[in-house]
Amino acid sequence: MKLPLSTLAGLMSAPALAIIAMGLAPLAVVVVWSFWAWDPSTYWIKPELSFAGYAGILEAGRWTVILSTFAKAFLTAAICLLIGFPTAYAVHFLASRRLAVVLLALMTIPFLTSYLIRSFSWRLVLGRTGVINTLLQDAGLTSAPIDWLLFSDFAVIVGLVASYLPFATFPLILAMQRLDPVAIAAARDLGAGFWTVQRTLILPLTISGVFAGFLFVFVMTLGSSTEVQMLGGAGASIVSVMINDVMRVANYPLAFAISTVVLAVVFGLVLLGNRAFGLSRLFEDRS
Amino acid sequence: MTVGNRNIPISSNMQRRDLLKFMGAGAAAITVGGLPRVAFAQDKTVAFWATATLDIGEKWQEFASQAGVTPEFTDNGNDVGPVVARLAAGNANDLFDVGGLQGGAEKELARQGLIIPWDIAKIPNYEGVWQWAKDIPYLKHEGKQFGIPTVVNADSIIYRPDKLGKVDSYGVIFDPKLKGRVAMEDAWINSAVFAAMYLKESENQPIKEPGNLSESELGLVMEFLIKHKKDGQFRTFWNGWEQGVQLVANEEVDAMTGWEPIVYEGRKRGLQVEYAAPVEGYEGWGNNTVLLKGAGDRGTADAAHEFVNGLLAGFYGCELGKARGYLVPTDSNVAYAQAHPSEYAPEEVQKLGDHVKAKFGGKVYWQNCRPDNFQLYEEWWQKLRNA
Repeated sequence: MKLPLSTLAGLMSAPALAIIAMGLAPLAVVVVWSFWAWDPSTYWIKPELSFAGYAGILEAGRWTVILSTFAKAFLTAAICLLIGFPTAYAVHFLASRRLAVVLLALMTIPFLTSYLIRSFSWRLVLGRTGVINTLLQDAGLTSAPIDWLLFSDFAVIVGLVASYLPFATFPLILAMQRLDPVAIAAARDLGAGFWTVQRTLILPLTISGVFAGFLFVFVMTLGSSTEVQMLGGAGASIVSVMINDVMRVANYPLAFAISTVVLAVVFGLVLLGNRAFGLSRLFEDRS
Repeated sequence: MTVGNRNIPISSNMQRRDLLKFMGAGAAAITVGGLPRVAFAQDKTVAFWATATLDIGEKWQEFASQAGVTPEFTDNGNDVGPVVARLAAGNANDLFDVGGLQGGAEKELARQGLIIPWDIAKIPNYEGVWQWAKDIPYLKHEGKQFGIPTVVNADSIIYRPDKLGKVDSYGVIFDPKLKGRVAMEDAWINSAVFAAMYLKESENQPIKEPGNLSESELGLVMEFLIKHKKDGQFRTFWNGWEQGVQLVANEEVDAMTGWEPIVYEGRKRGLQVEYAAPVEGYEGWGNNTVLLKGAGDRGTADAAHEFVNGLLAGFYGCELGKARGYLVPTDSNVAYAQAHPSEYAPEEVQKLGDHVKAKFGGKVYWQNCRPDNFQLYEEWWQKLRNA
């Protein structure tokens, strides 16, 4: 059904305004302010063109934090996809309707607790007196606690994957629901094995869901701090922790510059991903 | 102009302030999902913008009936950076009359004219404040009183005597034999001071004031921390109360610099934990109340003085001590408890006061949330993180 243009405009104006006011406008302000100068007399910024914020990124190893944040986000998103893809496959293709609901609920329930509690609970699992070290010692596999299980990059990745796994799994389930079962049955009738069906049919047809899942986890990891602060080693950092540090000393241009760099990378990734993997296909009408 | 049908005249300044408050309330509701406190029925109100730990919640009502002035409390988030920025470039001076800040920012705020001096003559209870608290270095600027010490304490080392025996030096934190078994706080505001105190007192390094390091002193201190971090000395840098408690309770560390209440919590959980009295001294900290310029502009400065006088009158000290174990540095607390033994146990109030006093009997270096080189501290802290 085609709506008249005036009706469509009326319906779209409120959400469009909300997106501009709550999404785009603050981002635009952050980008503009990143080029302003810090004013020590007011502890605020003044409208004078300055690249000091961007220069600051190159000092004190801040750029390495940005790079390592992207690396952590990439690794977390990749691991989430590796776990999320078979999970989504099991939920959609293998489980009965009732079991699928149970599995989805199991994935969702942890999100009813605070992210702080979820991260904190990993300290109790991975710590020196935690569940894993206790089990390993009781089984005689180790004689002393393994220290690197907690307060390490390993622990951070575990915490991030556990936090964001559903954000990779749900888009994959959505993408798999769009697959035509007839096409899969036809491939099998023609002799394609399990892996051939996965490689030549399911993966290519769900690639938009794969990218959506990757993007969700990637972006959320970029904005996370709790997992790093609670599970990382001494002074472990990530972009949001670094921005907090900088804000504490009121260096706003630097904080805005760091945010702008991250925003630019994320926008670039979305545009490239959409071109390469057809992200928008995920929202197209199936009929 | 009149309000409703009550025919109460209000000034245009009040209209603006109320409008800003209303807008602030909306912003607070959006950002934190809550609403600011509603004023109690009193004629005089003071907008108190302070660290959340200074809030006594529903007990403000009783405070108001005793002090004759009603505080409207708003949490300032505790981070001094955003607080100073909001005072300098935001609307904080339009909204609030009195601020409660970690000590150190007074000089900067006074220099910018964002806070105005207190008139001690209008705060009779200031007389009862302990002398060493009056001597906190950040309270005065150019001879004028800009800060009133409201809460004070001193921090050192939490340790396990069953593992380490008696600890009396910050050297334990940097002892290679305890590699991976110690921690410090993830904040230069404390950790740089502790390291500087150790280097100054036990290593005879040329450091004048651990709370306000010069560029070269800061380099010395931070290189020292970086070296130890690279050597794997620290298990982690901790953040916040629960994380601090968990490190001790789950035996992740044998010693760490931190807050004394963590010791009490560890003991509650059945652990043998002690708080050290280091030879290098304690790190003192204070949360001081400041009179915001806006209060002077609006003519609420007198009410602000009455409010601060109330903070030092005893009830607030008893309540804060009971609720959080924090100390208002005055004998009024004990006097109030003695006059109201059914509400507050005088011996407990006395004990808390004596305990904190004893800490300040020895060497103390003050925490400073705004050292002269504060931006350099952040830069070095990033280097430490990335080392």
